[in-house]
Amino acid sequence: MQKYSIFSLIKNAFSNHEKWDLAWKDPTPKKEYDVVIIGGGGHGLATAYYLAKEHKITNVAIIEKGWIGGGNIGRNTTIIRSNFMYDDNAKFNEFGMNLWRNMSQELNFNVMFSPRGIINLAHSDAQMNAYARRGNSMRLNGIDAVLLNREEVKKIIPMADFSEDVRYPIFGGLAQPSAGTARHDAVAWGYARQADSMGVDIIQNCEVTGFDVSAGKIQGIRTSRGDIKTKKIGLCVAGSTNVLAEKLNMTLPIETHLLQACVSEPVKPILDGVVTFGAGHFYISQSDKGEMVMGGDLDGYNSYAQKGNLPTIQHVLTGGIALFPFLSRLKMLRTWGGIMDMSMDGSPIIDKTHIEGLYLNCGWCYGGFKSVPSSGWTFAHTIAQDKVHELNEGFSLNRFSRGYLLDEKGLGTKTWIS
Amino acid sequence: MLYIKCPYCGYRSQKEFAYGGDGTIKRPELNQNISDEKWDEFVYFRKSPRGKHIELWHHIAGCRQWFQVQRNTVTHEIFQTAKMGEDIK
Amino acid sequence: MSQSHRLNNEGLVNRDNKISFKFNGKKYFGYEGDTLASALLANGVHLVGRSFKYHRPRGFFGAGVDEPNAKLQIKLNGHSEPNVNATEIELVDGIEASSQNCWPSVQFDIGAINNFLNKFFPAGFYYKTFMWPKSFWYKIYEPFIRKAAGLGVASAKKDKERYEHKYEYCDLLVTGSGPAGLSTAYAAAKNGAKVILAEDKPRFGGSLLTDNVTIDNLSGKAWSYKIISELKEMPNVIVKNRSQVFGYYDHNMMVMFERTGDHLKDKPKYTPRQRLWYIRAKEVLLSTGSIERPIVFGNNDTPGIFLSAAAKEYIKVYGVLVGKKPLIFTNNDSAYETALEFKNQGIQPVILDTREEQSSELIDEAKNQNIEIKFSHAVMAANGYKKVKSALIGKLNKDKSGFETSETIECDCICVSGFWTPTVHLASQSGNRLEFNDQIDAFVPNISKQNEKSIGASKGTFTLKETLEEGFKIGFEVSKNITKNDNFVSTPNSNEPKKNIHDKFWCSPLPEGKDYKRFVDFQNDVAVSDIEIALREGYRSIEHVKRYTTLGMATDQGRTSNLNGLQLVANVEKKIVPQVGHTTFRPPFTPITIGTIVGREVDMEYMPTRKTPMHTWHEKNNAVFVDAGAWKRPRYYKQGNETLLEAAKREAKNVREHVGICDVTTLGKIDIKGPDAAEFLNRVYTNAWLKLPVGKARYGVMLREDGIVMDDGTTTRISENHYHMTTTTAQAANVLSHLEYYLQVVWPDLKVNVLSTTEQWAGAALAGPKSRSVLAKLFPNLDVSNESLPFMGYVEGDLFGVNARIFRISFSGELAYEINVESDCGLFMWKKMMDIGKDFNIQPYGTEALSTLRIEMGHVAGPELDGRTIPSDVSLEGLVSKKKDFIGKRSLQKEAFNKSDRQKIVGLVPTDKKSSIPEGSHLVVNKNAKLPNPKLGHVSSSCWSVENNNPFSLAIIKDGKNMIGKKLFAVSPLKNTAIEVEVISSHYVDHEGKRVRS
Repeated sequence: MQKYSIFSLIKNAFSNHEKWDLAWKDPTPKKEYDVVIIGGGGHGLATAYYLAKEHKITNVAIIEKGWIGGGNIGRNTTIIRSNFMYDDNAKFNEFGMNLWRNMSQELNFNVMFSPRGIINLAHSDAQMNAYARRGNSMRLNGIDAVLLNREEVKKIIPMADFSEDVRYPIFGGLAQPSAGTARHDAVAWGYARQADSMGVDIIQNCEVTGFDVSAGKIQGIRTSRGDIKTKKIGLCVAGSTNVLAEKLNMTLPIETHLLQACVSEPVKPILDGVVTFGAGHFYISQSDKGEMVMGGDLDGYNSYAQKGNLPTIQHVLTGGIALFPFLSRLKMLRTWGGIMDMSMDGSPIIDKTHIEGLYLNCGWCYGGFKSVPSSGWTFAHTIAQDKVHELNEGFSLNRFSRGYLLDEKGLGTKTWIS
Repeated sequence: MLYIKCPYCGYRSQKEFAYGGDGTIKRPELNQNISDEKWDEFVYFRKSPRGKHIELWHHIAGCRQWFQVQRNTVTHEIFQTAKMGEDIK
Repeated sequence: MSQSHRLNNEGLVNRDNKISFKFNGKKYFGYEGDTLASALLANGVHLVGRSFKYHRPRGFFGAGVDEPNAKLQIKLNGHSEPNVNATEIELVDGIEASSQNCWPSVQFDIGAINNFLNKFFPAGFYYKTFMWPKSFWYKIYEPFIRKAAGLGVASAKKDKERYEHKYEYCDLLVTGSGPAGLSTAYAAAKNGAKVILAEDKPRFGGSLLTDNVTIDNLSGKAWSYKIISELKEMPNVIVKNRSQVFGYYDHNMMVMFERTGDHLKDKPKYTPRQRLWYIRAKEVLLSTGSIERPIVFGNNDTPGIFLSAAAKEYIKVYGVLVGKKPLIFTNNDSAYETALEFKNQGIQPVILDTREEQSSELIDEAKNQNIEIKFSHAVMAANGYKKVKSALIGKLNKDKSGFETSETIECDCICVSGFWTPTVHLASQSGNRLEFNDQIDAFVPNISKQNEKSIGASKGTFTLKETLEEGFKIGFEVSKNITKNDNFVSTPNSNEPKKNIHDKFWCSPLPEGKDYKRFVDFQNDVAVSDIEIALREGYRSIEHVKRYTTLGMATDQGRTSNLNGLQLVANVEKKIVPQVGHTTFRPPFTPITIGTIVGREVDMEYMPTRKTPMHTWHEKNNAVFVDAGAWKRPRYYKQGNETLLEAAKREAKNVREHVGICDVTTLGKIDIKGPDAAEFLNRVYTNAWLKLPVGKARYGVMLREDGIVMDDGTTTRISENHYHMTTTTAQAANVLSHLEYYLQVVWPDLKVNVLSTTEQWAGAALAGPKSRSVLAKLFPNLDVSNESLPFMGYVEGDLFGVNARIFRISFSGELAYEINVESDCGLFMWKKMMDIGKDFNIQPYGTEALSTLRIEMGHVAGPELDGRTIPSDVSLEGLVSKKKDFIGKRSLQKEAFNKSDRQKIVGLVPTDKKSSIPEGSHLVVNKNAKLPNPKLGHVSSSCWSVENNNPFSLAIIKDGKNMIGKKLFAVSPLKNTAIEVEVISSHYVDHEGKRVRS
């Protein structure tokens, strides 16, 4: 595989960039694979990469209905963090933070991970206390967290509304300085390129039409490009999990909802890190291109539409102006939606299932992007070893029936109000 | 913004309503012995089809009645709305 | 300075009103009716900006929403706004415009070095480098890239402008007032339909303002004036200019924004700057027209290169020449109209037509007028850096893959036409799956998914005659379906030049040995070579191409680049365009001011503010308020220089020793009536309710079905079938919906009705050992003795002529009463209590003292009932009935909920009896343990116990009650504290609950 570097770039400039290799090939599906990963999104691509790299399983196919990276990996607001209260979530995502920190070098693809920090703003003492509970939990788990008072927040985001006539004044916030953002598409492409180079077949425009299950075991899948035999299937199709589960006669503790995001026109740097508003549904960061990337709330009813409602955007941006009045003069350039697996406690599921050889990776709600490396790594382990890793033990499917819920927000099963 | 026909009040904008989720869930009867599986199915497990979905809505800024809506989750086309207890095709 | 390129007798601008403005510090003049672009062009200014990546000089290209380049920083009325489209903003006095993304100036921009190094910055270059050394990405490269990126500068100032929202319903919404829109709106309006006609531009008429056509024996322009003035007079029609329908949402909800203020020099008070319209339309008629597409050639981004229709619009609408030595480069007839307009103004153009020599009305007219036409010719490249000086042109070979000749031709502008692309954005947003029409090489709407129809150019109908026929016919038919009227207006006669078919030529080949940059997307600097690299590297899906090269992702959203990009991909991939597909059209059509989307919900109006009837009294008495959801509650009443803690201690102590009064109006109140009310409560609450006598209150806890505590509160039996429920302030709305759900959905057989009465009652809690004495004086005719009104008792009384409900309930743990009166009498009640209480040392107390009182009593509240706790976690297992069933009961059997070391509530005191324990601290055995340090639980609520005069906290910890007596550390690494604490019971005061019963 060609190595990307400043030197290869210069070298190729002199041959008019005509000698670049394919980032990944476009193979025809083989008759049989050791493992088939369904879903060429971040989680699927990362899983295939770690299967090859960590477990030396390379006879792997990734089956993607459309084009790789076209689902939520290409539609999210690129936030990477591990600021969780529950140990299971914290450990898992902090493990992921370490993978993020080395990802560009490991993949030889600049994913532009930049730890510019995240601040969750608080607008009451009660909220400050709730954040202290989470922040202290993070610190005791070895994750960086800082509790900021109003003045400290003001130093970081002076353009936020610190005036008198504001409905919910800023009291302070919880910061995770090591959190940040990355270039979402690059993550998908980087994993794809490395997985491909190790022998993984990336098969695009291939829809799964059915499963071949007999005697409680996976035997293969049926696709729009023919049947494929395999003993192990990893399902990484957040957003479409329920659609495929139906084909397997499974019902899951997941509802499918739409989350919207939008960007402003690009402007010169004004905001460095990620900020979340604590008195409404709004979060924001500024991309390297200069666009303000904003998101916040679900459309509020089950949806597979990838196209949202204006009132939700209005609601989100109302919070935006309440926090950053300067946004009022910027223009909203583009809105889009992503389909979310909303699990019943807001945390993901990475587990085996009652069908031998069927492994489940789903329920990411709206926090799947940050977990791409840790999810891929643990899911690869779960598939390769046929047992869950300590890091994803808490994300079991049966935690709901046993009562070991990971409800970071305490909102229960009304997934659409989170 | 959806345009929803409340069976009591007629067409109103979605702003007046709150969503109530899967409308096919039946709460188990009180005072019955019920298996763990059945109970969990009721509390946690959801059909979330791509296409026709029967769901509940609550006219919170209106008559405050809960009612049933059959909607396409891809196009948001609403096929039918009905009072609780009425049949929905 | 004179307007060097302004015509004397052409255009629709008002030459009587001269307007001055500044561009890059220099003063210019234009006229009322100009856009900033037309005014600058009138002054011969072309260079307005620099491109995003290579900082190449850029000029105007279009005359409206199609403009990719001319995004300026505008200062007006004290506001500075980035990325304003110069071709859309109307000229008003005092505008100060400046170029963006250049330093030190647009004329001399250091960043242009990128242009000379562009070979090293192909598509996706940043994915391949900037990775070494590792830390340099974040510390060096990225900050540099961030600085270089972005267009204009966002002002950090608060926007003082006003934005409004408006809601409308109509039968027909017509989007665009060209010939299609006018005819449809007119036919429908005449047939009695309620019509809204929206036009994005300041002037109605669309192409009729610039095209040389006649309708009904009038010029197109005159006909449009006539129709518009008729429509304006009709009561069933709303006609709106400066109004763009930018989004097509579900169930025919259309969203439009109207520019109401920026074009006015002196905006009247209360006139908003912009207005957002939510329009629910029975039918939507899309008459959005089409946008001319460019032909791609070398250096096609040089200032002085225009779309040919834009050049025509500058002449016809603004009376401005974009050049005096024009070169027209076309693959179709319509650019001939531009050439003829130049000729009319005495300017001699040269036409390059990629088609072979042919004849048509327009071609013949051009020939007659002695305009030089070079058939089978194309522009290879433009020459000139900051302005076009000449063009390298040549004769195309037979298959148009190369050139047979080459010559340089002098020109000062190049007007390009690569045929027309229907504006299908709204149709696509509606769910209409577009289909490719290879007659016009563009996508057109196919089958409607909502009540939507496209008419005229927006669906690929490019002749006036057919457009009018469609418009009059569809306008009539659609309106007839709605109004049932039958007033048919017949299509007027029309006259237009007949046009030949266009040539599919869209990109000039590179001449031998040259590698000119040929731009597909101007703003994002995406050239043909970039797209070729992407495809070569395997980014073959159109979405991959878009994301890898950023094609079509700039602020113009690819309006002029989209189809050429698809053509290129199709050519390289040896496919046809429909096989390549298209990227998704998403709202908004053009960028929309965020303030407009938000409207009036800003500053203090971000959320409603709910105030209790006693609010003014609290204000007068130095209350410091706290937000409790939408409510404002007094947190404490400040005396002198007191701190929060001092005030809370004073107020709480006064309750313990004397009597306090607290505004509890904000608690949720629900009236529950009906013969099955008791049975219903019995199912909703975890404890038993069937035997509660009339005139008694009971504390209850309700669960969600998953077993988690949802809310708590007291409910009182007012009469046989009438109960009064209270909820926490936070959960009031949720509890009501919850109750309605169970009554209407789950148990419709129960005869019960529920109604929120939160707003109907003002409430005051009277708490403390002396509260009974105050009560006795408040209700002199009532027996308030412990025997007559015991703990959890209820009576009604007469409070100086006002009906009052008296509940003997207590949150503070003291002898206490809660009195409710109708909201209007709340202030009266409060003042009476204060007045009468004076003799008993009454003091008002706020939520902070309230917390102190409840914490030291071990009463749980929000921090303990945090959506994760079950009753036994917070010592409420005594309230969980073993006998009856209730909501959520079955879930309490779950394994995790019954683990022996399950978290439970306990009390904590610091062993030094001095150090306050920060809320949110966690409990650990070893404060210095290696991380991760195992946590036993967390501190949920802390106070300074006024009873024991030392800090006290509630905590929820593993193995709860068994930990009592143990010493642990409450650590808060965030605050750098580690306090040794002793675990004790959560009831720190009055264990037996004697006081409430005293």
